[in-house]
Parts: sequence; structure tokens; C-alpha cells
Amino acid sequence: MMKVITNNNIKCTIALAALENVIDPEIGLNVGDLGLIYNIDFDDAKSKIYVSMTLTTQFCPMGESITGAVKRVLENTFSEKEVQLHLTFNPPWSHERISEEGEKYLNL
Amino acid sequence: MFSANSNSSVVKNTTHKVVLPFYLYAALSFLVATVLLSFSTGAFTQHFFHPQILAITHVMALGWGTMIILGASHQLVPVLIEGKLYSVALAYASFVLAATGIPLLVYGFYFFDVGWPAQCGGILVNLAIVSYLVNLGYSMAKSKSENVHSVFIFMAALWLLLTTLVGLLLLYNFTGTILPNDSVHYLPLHAHMGIVGWFLLLVIGVGSRLVPLFLISKYSNDKLLWVIFILINGGMLTFIISFLYFPKNYYLLPVIAILFAIGLFGYYCYQCYKQRIRKRVDEQMKISLLSVSMMLLPMTILFIIIGLQVFGNAKVNLVIVYGFVVFFGWITAIIFGMTFKTLPFIVWNKVYHLQAGLGQTPNPKDLFNSKIFLAMSLGYFVGFILFIFGIYLKNILMLNFASIFLIMAALLYNWNVIKLLIHQPAR
Repeated sequence: MMKVITNNNIKCTIALAALENVIDPEIGLNVGDLGLIYNIDFDDAKSKIYVSMTLTTQFCPMGESITGAVKRVLENTFSEKEVQLHLTFNPPWSHERISEEGEKYLNL
Repeated sequence: MFSANSNSSVVKNTTHKVVLPFYLYAALSFLVATVLLSFSTGAFTQHFFHPQILAITHVMALGWGTMIILGASHQLVPVLIEGKLYSVALAYASFVLAATGIPLLVYGFYFFDVGWPAQCGGILVNLAIVSYLVNLGYSMAKSKSENVHSVFIFMAALWLLLTTLVGLLLLYNFTGTILPNDSVHYLPLHAHMGIVGWFLLLVIGVGSRLVPLFLISKYSNDKLLWVIFILINGGMLTFIISFLYFPKNYYLLPVIAILFAIGLFGYYCYQCYKQRIRKRVDEQMKISLLSVSMMLLPMTILFIIIGLQVFGNAKVNLVIVYGFVVFFGWITAIIFGMTFKTLPFIVWNKVYHLQAGLGQTPNPKDLFNSKIFLAMSLGYFVGFILFIFGIYLKNILMLNFASIFLIMAALLYNWNVIKLLIHQPAR
């Protein structure tokens, strides 16, 4: 089960399904199952989506590419919304955030 | 709660246009070195101070080892300092200066024309290192984050500059008397500043960041890294003082300090491996981890050389084996492993950066041919072992045979590097 906090479960499920296409190229696992997404909040009044996410390490050389892809995929999925992405390392990512599917994939 | 600016704290990658020429130059240098090796096998049965051995050593140390490290570090510095590279122009300058200087220097050594071509080459190489050091220093000064890895890199770059400055001095000492002794006398000083001060310090500084990164390991131990840092730099300073002012018997002290540092780094890597999240370790990481243990091979040979020297019985061919094991063994194995861990990501970022998430994109590891990588590793391993025996036994036939394997490994390495560099997305 993915551990994402949201104010709209239905839209969050759609968002996470779309984010299955965003793969961390080193690990080969999508950002959702990897547990990189902390929050997805939808503000319908302002037509905005607020995403809070992290990376497996602060030094990740693919960070720019991964965050860019998350933003792009969500903007494509919810075309009328503007995505505001916040990258945080507090709390830092840990392997406990990996979903059961991700654990199976990584042989944990 | 949320920042309006996306990617606010994400690492800003250096443009691939700066980094890739270094990789290509290094790959071609490795091929040139193996070809020169095959033309110079006879030299490996003589004294280590031989024009052809000097030329090959400098192709390996500068064209191969240093160029690829400079390229990779332009990419990695922003990752390590959590900032961005200070100047792309300085990075280009260091490439152009080194790329022009190295062939002049190597030509000078190979034909032992230590006049203007070699001197001019030496000056250009020094200017390249100054450009790199200035770029590194400013990048670090502008970054808000300080960490042990970036200190390792900066110190290593200082040692590199010291190495090339001493090298230039030795070059001028060939034609005019500048130093109290002849240049051959100072070769161990020049060589070990480069091998330990530059290569070892840098490999540990960068490796201690990349190994846990690629293994996705939970392990981190900055205190241990600081101990390693002090042991290596302390060992090097002791070595220089011993070399200049005290009898050679004192060499054992720095060797023990450095050997201990390597042992601690081995322990660091083992802990990273043990506490890794990713269970499957790919071939490139295996070779990189193997190269850590390969550090012990030249150190063991050095112990034997020093031991024999104490009894006044050091064998010249053992010294050549030592140099060969450093450049064609340890440094080459690290580069083999790390090229195919870092270059595919740089190329992937260049080609697929804007397509990520919008459709099927290949994995970075699929951008090169893993079978060719395996064949390259095999050819290299056979050639490397045979060449060591060839040097020790002074057997030209074995040396010739071994050099064919090494050329084959270099060709396969170039094949995969060029395949990566020209990669285009499938239509």
C-alpha cells in the first residue's frame, strides 16, 4: 500500500496510476511504489495540485529528470490544473516507504 | 507550506556538452595506450626509466585516468556540493588545454624530445589543472553545503596540481640543472603525489558517495572518511619529508598509513554493501567494488619493493609491475566500472530528459551492450594477468600476446562508449 497523504482519495488514485510511468531509472521502480511521493493535495478552487515529494538521496543526479517527469505527467493527466511541486528531504526517504509491490520487485 | 518554485533544491546537472568530450578523449587515450604498449613490449623488459614507458604512463595517467575523472567530476561536483558548477567556460578551457598538452607531452617522452614539445605540453597540462582547480574552488565557495566528499575532491585536485608542477620542474631539469639531483631521482616523488594524492584521494572521495548511491545503501560514516583523509594526507606528507630529508627506510611509515586507509575504505564499502537496499548488484558495480580490493595489489608489491630495497636488492622489473598494476590494474578497473555506471545516466538525461514519464523510455543500463562489456572485462582480465607475468619473467612473446588482449579490451570499451555517445531515441 502506498503511503501518500491526500485530501482527495479518488483523484490521488488517478494521479498515482499516472505516476506509474515515472520510473527511477537507476532502481527501475516507479516513484509511487518507491515511496517518493509524500503528499498530493488538490485545490479545485484555484485549479492547482500541490505535490510534496522526495528523492532516494539528496545527491540524486537524476533528481531534475524525475521531478520534471512527475510535474509533466500530472499536468498531462489533469490538464486544467497547475502543478506546484515541492521537493523535500524532511523527512528523508527510507526503504520503509517502498510499497509491497515495490518490495516484491526489488526482492526485499 | 509549498514552494512556488518547483525543483528548488534539486541538483543542477552540468551540461552534457562539457562532460562528454572528456569521456571520448579518455576512451581514445586508452586505445592509444594499449597500441603503444604493443609497440613497446621490449621496453618492459628494461629499466622503468625508458622513454616509451614514460610515454605510456603519461597517456594512462593523464589521457585516460585524469581526463575521465575531470569529465566525471564536472558532472559529479554539483551532486557532491549540492550546488552548480561555477563556470562552463573554465570546464571547456581545462578540456582544450589538457587535450592539446597531453599529446605534446607524450610525443616528447616517446621520442625523448624533452625540448619545446614536451615543455609546451607540460605547461598546457598545468594550465588545464589550474582552470579545473579554480572552477572547483569557486563552485565549492558558492555552495552552501560542505561535506567530506567535496573536501576530498578539492584536496585531490591540489595534489594533482602539485604533481603536474613537479612534473614540469622535472621536465626542465632534463635540459637545465634546476634541482640538486637528476630527474630520475625525483620520479618516485612525482609518481606517488599523482597516484596517492590525486587518484587515491579522489577515488575514495567520489567512491564514498557513489557506492552507497548506486547500491542504495543506508550506511554512512563521515567520521571514518575523515580518518581516511587524515591518514592519506598525513602519509603523503610523511613520505615527502622522508624522501627529501631522511633515509629511505622511513618509507614504511607512510606506506602503512596509506595501506590502513585503504583497509578502512574497504571496510566502508563492505558496510555499504551489507546495508544495501538493492539486493541485485550489477556487473559495473561488481567491477567497481573489485577495484577497491585491487588497491591492495600495488600496495603489497610496494611493500615487497621497499623490503627488497632495505636489503639493497630491489628488482627493476618489480617496479615496472608496480606501475603497470596501478595504471592498467586499479585505475583501469575503476574506470571500466564507473564509466558504465555514470555515462549511461548522462546520455539518458541528454536524450530522454523531456520524455521521462510520457512513454516508454529505455533504462540507462540498456543504452550500452552488456555482452560487449562482459567480453571487454574478460579480455582485459586475461591481458592484465598475462602482461604482469610477461614483465616479471621478461618474456616478450607473453607481453605481445597480452597486449593483443588489452587492445581488444580497449576496442570493445571504445565500441560501447561510442555506442552511448551516438545514442538516439528509437522512432
